[in-house]
Amino acid sequence: MRVGIIGIGMTAFRPSTPEYNWKELMFEAASRAYADAAINPREDVDSFITCAEDYYEGFGIFDEFVPDQLGAALRPTCTVSGDGLQGLANAYMQIQTGLIDVAVVEAHSKASDVVTLDGIIEHALDPIWNKPLGAHPFVVAGLEADAYLRGTRTSPKALAAVVAKNRRNGLRNPLAAYGAAVDADQAMQSEERFAPIRALDISNPADGCVVLVLASDRAAKKLHADPVWIRGIGWASDSPSLETRDWTAATYARIAADMAYRLAKVRRPATDIDFAEVDDRFSYKELQHLESLGLAKKGEAGTRVLRGDYDADGRFPVNVSGGSLGCGNVFEATGLHRAGEVALQLRGDAGVRQLDGVRVGVAQSWRFVPSATGAVAVLGAGP
Amino acid sequence: MTFLDRTTDARKFRHWEGDVEADYIYTSGVAGERFFVALRDEGRMLASRCTACKLDYLPPRMFCEDCFAELTEYVDVPRTGRVAAVTVAHVDRTGAKLSHPQVWAFVTFEGIRGGLLHRLLVAPKQARAGLSVQARLKSRDGRTGTIVDIEGFEPVRSRF
Ligand SMILES: [Zn+2]
Repeated sequence: MRVGIIGIGMTAFRPSTPEYNWKELMFEAASRAYADAAINPREDVDSFITCAEDYYEGFGIFDEFVPDQLGAALRPTCTVSGDGLQGLANAYMQIQTGLIDVAVVEAHSKASDVVTLDGIIEHALDPIWNKPLGAHPFVVAGLEADAYLRGTRTSPKALAAVVAKNRRNGLRNPLAAYGAAVDADQAMQSEERFAPIRALDISNPADGCVVLVLASDRAAKKLHADPVWIRGIGWASDSPSLETRDWTAATYARIAADMAYRLAKVRRPATDIDFAEVDDRFSYKELQHLESLGLAKKGEAGTRVLRGDYDADGRFPVNVSGGSLGCGNVFEATGLHRAGEVALQLRGDAGVRQLDGVRVGVAQSWRFVPSATGAVAVLGAGP
Repeated sequence: MTFLDRTTDARKFRHWEGDVEADYIYTSGVAGERFFVALRDEGRMLASRCTACKLDYLPPRMFCEDCFAELTEYVDVPRTGRVAAVTVAHVDRTGAKLSHPQVWAFVTFEGIRGGLLHRLLVAPKQARAGLSVQARLKSRDGRTGTIVDIEGFEPVRSRF
């Protein structure tokens, strides 16, 4: 059975959202998604999946706070403690069972509510072996960036090129919080943070919410929808301890991609796929992820970004949305945003950043520092 | 530069201030206890061995992540390790700027699956991957049986 995306709803991504609380943010994105799909959630939706982590929310048992703002009262709901793309995988499987025809997936960030965001991220470090050392959690990213750059002989200039590209792409995305005309020199000269990572290599936190409506092919037909198909989806975690995981390649992304490509019958990702939205919450991550997804050879992503291949008008556009560097880090909503962006491109609804003639796109997520977890979705345009 | 300098500080807007009180003691566990007692009392570092997979795990753990065997055998970690990755942090754990940057490393050991994340006790300019290093321990009196009994890793003096 095929599963497609029939509704896309996103709020703007913003550094803060003083007029809304987090429930109202979800209400807005859900209202937009249901209007886009032309459905009534009280009648047409069989299952609702939210993606959240209590520590980011600032209160316990998030799933108890869910149903009303999604139109899900007295309907099946569940919460995935993970990135939105992992929630998308759950919805895909629920529909594949044949028990669910229409499912809704939600993920959000109200990062501006978190006063001690560094401390919340630090809580994800192992409390016996890592956290007592007193390092900022992004030290883990600094170490990985060092291992990646050396292991692939990638120039730090390539990181600056990623920053410049994605911040500029953000200028053409009305939803992006951090679009800016940054050039590579500015990125190279920004303050050192976690060498080789500099200030501009790190995405800034943003608020926002993304809701997608999924349907089986049968339900899509009944609802007169023109879906973007989920051709394949996969997810994986590398070793849960920092010490035993791969420090150079994003193994989680490779395994997740293998699974998604197998389902989607993608044999040569570099030629079968037209564009990608990958996690770039640190600039090196974009390059590392492209290589792990088989979209660039090992060590080539850096030279290709410097050559302009990944520009919006390049040979293989990457993060035309602006990515997290341009849009902001929306935490657990990051992967779902990228899936929504790929779907908009495939529908021809991406506005001034619309790519010509794209048929197949890939969205990839990572669960941020210090995780080694990711998911990949291959999406394709109709029929 | 307003684009690069936007506020994410919601305290400037209407809100209710709250906090999540959350204090814990984290139990070291069986394998952790073995490691930390040996570190405190004898200045040794131990890895746990999976005889089935022929793997020695550092940090030691009670179970093999590959085959699920219960691990009961411990072996010494070689004294000298190698810096596998290095970074220089310019901010502290809360994000506040440091007057003296900190050097951090991931140190691996020959024949050991895993390694240790810790301070690298060199000047930022001397920080590089590939260095041969040894653990510098606190004095016996100062050791309490935790990961910070190790002050960090320092370069092994070259032998030529
Ligand atoms: Zn084993």
